[in-house]
Amino acid sequence: MFARLLKPSVIAHAHCDIPCGIYDPTPAKIAADTVAKMVEKIDALDKNATDLTTRGNFVRMISVKEQHAEIVKKELQVLWSDYFKPEHVQKFPKLHETFWNALKLASKNKQNVDAKAAADLQAAVKEISDIFWATKK
Amino acid sequence: MTRPWRVAVSGHSMEPALREGDWLLMLPPRRTPRRGDVVLFRDPRERDRLLLKRVAAVRDGACVVEGDHVGHSTADSRHFGAIPASDVIARAAFRYAPLRRFGPLRG
Repeated sequence: MFARLLKPSVIAHAHCDIPCGIYDPTPAKIAADTVAKMVEKIDALDKNATDLTTRGNFVRMISVKEQHAEIVKKELQVLWSDYFKPEHVQKFPKLHETFWNALKLASKNKQNVDAKAAADLQAAVKEISDIFWATKK
Repeated sequence: MTRPWRVAVSGHSMEPALREGDWLLMLPPRRTPRRGDVVLFRDPRERDRLLLKRVAAVRDGACVVEGDHVGHSTADSRHFGAIPASDVIARAAFRYAPLRRFGPLRG
């Protein structure tokens, strides 16, 4: 009861912005490469095979593809919202558009098995990676 | 915002001096903050957020503020540079909870 009266109403932040300024586009790149690899492997499967091994592989590859497309989204969102600052946008005016496009491509890759979309996603992640490293110079 | 008189600490950047969940009494800031003061100020990047850090240096009306917990404090002057001394809202004077660590805060 006293605790409620004494409890401060104001929060003073003594925060570190975890993860302590460690940002890197590499996980997004690896995830995008994985998506492309899965699309390639799914395409290579025998479309008429009905044996359980082939079906199991198909399901597994679809699952990995979707998981890694989601990882791309998450990794890019962290860079977009946490790493990049307004001064970066001034220097790279297309930054927001680039991220938006890349995130939409990641969703497209979740929904489809599409080699073109996978290659576009890899290119989009590379573009963001190049911008990222340019800001580190 | 009126000057907060009591604040709750959130985060780990001021350990071991201040811990998450500590409740502090605040005093008005000195005209010129002193090195070692724990001060409350507006986050220059997000003005509605109040940060609590220690003054590491003062020069020409600007304060370099840093967390005590090296490696676990990036939301400080290492990140956004020195802050104007006029941005300091209050300084931490006393911890009233938890009771086992009740007492004045040294600069």
